[in-house]
Amino acid sequence: MPALEMAQETGKVVSWRKREGEQVAKGEPLLEVETDKAVVEVESPGDGILSAVSAHEGAVIPVGQTIAWLLAPGEALPIATAPAQTGRRTDTVAAGGAVASAGVSSPTPVSPSELRISPKARRLAREHGVDVTRLRGSGPGGEILAEDILLASKSGGAAAASPATPAAQSKAQALPGEIESLGTVGRLMAARTAQSWTTVPHFFVTREADASGLLETYERLAVEVERARGIKATLTDLLIALVARVLAKHPRMNASWAAEGIRHNAEINVALAVAVEEGVVAPVLHKANRSNIGEIAVRRRELTQRAKAGRLQPADIAGGTFTISNLGMYGVDAFTAIIVPPQAGILAVGRVGDRVVAVDGRAAVRPMITLTLSTDHRVADGAHAALFLNDVVEAIREPKKWLE
Amino acid sequence: MPETAVQTTVRELTFGEAIREAIAEEMRRDARVCIIGEDVAEAGTPFKVLSGLVEEFGKQRVIDTPISEPGFTGIGVGAAMTGLRPVVDIMFGDFLTLVMDQMVNQAAKIHYMSGGTWKVPMVFRATMGATRRSAAQHSQSLHAWPSHIPGLKVVLPSTPYDAKGLLKTAIRDDNPVVFFEDKMMYRLKGPVPSEEYTIPFGVADIKRAGTDITLVATSSMVQVAFGAAKLLEEIGISAEIVDPRTMWPLDEKTLIESAKKTSRVVVIDEGYHRYGVTAEIASVIAEGAFYNLDGPVKRIGAMHVPIPFSPPLEDATVPSEQQVFAAARELCGKA
Repeated sequence: MPALEMAQETGKVVSWRKREGEQVAKGEPLLEVETDKAVVEVESPGDGILSAVSAHEGAVIPVGQTIAWLLAPGEALPIATAPAQTGRRTDTVAAGGAVASAGVSSPTPVSPSELRISPKARRLAREHGVDVTRLRGSGPGGEILAEDILLASKSGGAAAASPATPAAQSKAQALPGEIESLGTVGRLMAARTAQSWTTVPHFFVTREADASGLLETYERLAVEVERARGIKATLTDLLIALVARVLAKHPRMNASWAAEGIRHNAEINVALAVAVEEGVVAPVLHKANRSNIGEIAVRRRELTQRAKAGRLQPADIAGGTFTISNLGMYGVDAFTAIIVPPQAGILAVGRVGDRVVAVDGRAAVRPMITLTLSTDHRVADGAHAALFLNDVVEAIREPKKWLE
Repeated sequence: MPETAVQTTVRELTFGEAIREAIAEEMRRDARVCIIGEDVAEAGTPFKVLSGLVEEFGKQRVIDTPISEPGFTGIGVGAAMTGLRPVVDIMFGDFLTLVMDQMVNQAAKIHYMSGGTWKVPMVFRATMGATRRSAAQHSQSLHAWPSHIPGLKVVLPSTPYDAKGLLKTAIRDDNPVVFFEDKMMYRLKGPVPSEEYTIPFGVADIKRAGTDITLVATSSMVQVAFGAAKLLEEIGISAEIVDPRTMWPLDEKTLIESAKKTSRVVVIDEGYHRYGVTAEIASVIAEGAFYNLDGPVKRIGAMHVPIPFSPPLEDATVPSEQQVFAAARELCGKA
C-alpha cells in the first residue's frame, strides 16, 4: 500500500484496474486507492504479472503492507508472503504517477529512486502537476531537467496525466424520486462537513470593509499580471495574497487543532474552496504569504483547472492551514462557512457591491464587501478572531501596505 | 565630450603594486604596522612586491629575518599580542607547514582562551599557485588548511582592486588573517582607484553576470573562469562568475542566490580537489539551493598529486579554461 500523503496511515482499495494473472506494464493504471483526502489512481511501478492480490476491493490497508506481487513470467511467489509492513513512505511527488510499493521487497524491484530527475525539476513537476514518469529526460544521462518539466507543462502532453477519477465520470443524473448515488468527492464532502459541523465548536465574526482600495490595487495589478504572465488575475487571487500576509501576523489563526493541543504551523498554506460538479474541493496555495499575486494567479488557475477536471494530485490538497471561500461571483452578500478540520478558520467572502455608508458623517456610496470568519473555538477565541479580521479589513482598505 | 570633463581617478596597477600600496598606506596611517619575514627589506621579496618599503619606513619596521619561519612567526604572534600589527611574510604558502603551531594553536586561539583579554591583530601573507616551475614544495595552494580553523580569517583576492581593499581590511582587523596571493598574478593589471577604500570580509563579488550557469572561482581561477565564460558565450551559454573573495567569513547568501538564479554551478579553485575549499562551497550551495538545482554541483580543483616539476605535467594538474568549459557545457546539457 503506497503512501500518497505525508501523514497517511492507511489506504482503501477502491478498485483494481487489472485482474490477477494479467500482464501489467510499468506506468499502466493498476489500482485506485482512496485516502482521507482523495481517490488516486496508482500506476504500476514495474512490468510483470499481477499475482497474489491480498487486498480486496474496499479493504483498508496500512501503508507499507504488501497488497500484491508483480512477478516475472515463470517466477515463483516468494515463500514468505506474510504482509510486510515498514514505516517507509514514498515521496508524494511520485504520487499519481510512479507510486511504487514502498518498503515492499518486490521480486522485481522498481522504485521511484530509479527515476533520474534534478531537484529543481522535481519541485517544478510538483508545482505544475506534471507526471514525471511519462517524461523522457534531456540531461546528459537521460535525467529529467527543469526545462523538460516546463516544456511538458506548456504542451500539456504529459502533464497531469492521471485520468479523471471515476467520481468525475459518473455523471448520471438522478431522476426525481430516485436517490442520486454519490461519487468520491460528494461522499467525502458529506462526511467531512458533517464531522466538522458536529465536532468543531464553530463561532462566527462578521465585518464589512470598504473595498475601494482593494479594487484600485486589483485593477493595477491585474494589468501587470496580464502583461507579465498573459493570464487574468482575479480578485480572489488578491484576497489570497492579503489574507496570507495577515495570517503571518496572526499565528493562532494559522494554527491547527491537534489532540494534544494547538499545532502552530510553520507554513502559511491557503486553501481555496472550488466548486466542482459534485461538490466542493479545496486545493492549496502553499506558502501563499511568500508569493506575489502573479504567482498566486498562475497557481490558482492551474489548481482550479485541475480541480474541475478531477485531476487534483494529493500534494495539491495537502497541507492547508486556512481556507478562503468566495461566493461573491454568485451574488451572495454574506454567508457562513464550515471549517475544514484541523484548520482553525475559514473566511467566507461575499460580493463587492455599492452600498450607502456613512463617511465623515455624510451618506456616501462605496463599494463594500462583507467577510465572515468561522473559527474553531478550541484554537482561537473571539478576541483572536476579531483582531485577525480587523487586520484583514485593514488589508482590504490599504492593500499596498500589506503587499510590500 | 562630457567624459573629458570628468576627472578620472582610476589607474591601472599590477596586483603586486596594489599589495605594496595597501601595506605602504597602512604603515603611514598606523605606526604599529610592521613587516617581518625573509628577504622583505633589501630584496623586497623574491617577487619584488615590497620593493621600496624599507627605504620609506626603515629597518625598524621592515625586518629581515634568517630562514626561520617558526621563529619569526612566533615573534609576530607575540608582537601582535603586545600591541603591534605585524604583517608576517610567508614567502611560499607551502611553508605554512612550518608555522602551524604558531598560527593554529596560538594566533587563532589566544583571544578565546584569554577570555577576550588578548587580541592577535596580525596578517599572514602567503603565496599560492602552481605553473611557476617551482616544483612540489613551492607550488601548493594550501588555503583550505587555515579555512578549517576557527579563529582565522582567510582571504583570496583575485584582482588588483580586491587585493588592495582586502589587504587594508586585513591589516585593520583585530584578528589573525591569512592572506593568500597567487604568485602568478603579481603582474596582472587592473583598475585601482587612487582614493582610499577598503573591502569588507564576507562579501562575495559577482565578477560577471550571467543566467545559465554559475562559475564560483577563487584567486587566479577567476581568470580561468573568465576564459571559460567566453567560450561558453560562443555556444550560447551565459555564465555568471562569483568570487567569494574570503573563504572565511564566507558569503553563503550570494553563492546560494546565484545558484538559485542559474540552477547550475561549477566551483573552481586551485587547491587540491580532494577535501578542498570547493567541497565546502559546493556543500553550502547544495544545501541552500537544493530545490533550485538542475544538476549536481560540480567541483574542479588541482589534481590529487604532488605538483610535478615537469612543465607539461605541472600544467596538467591545475584547472584550465577548457576543463571548466567542458564541465559547464555538460551541466547545461549541451555536451
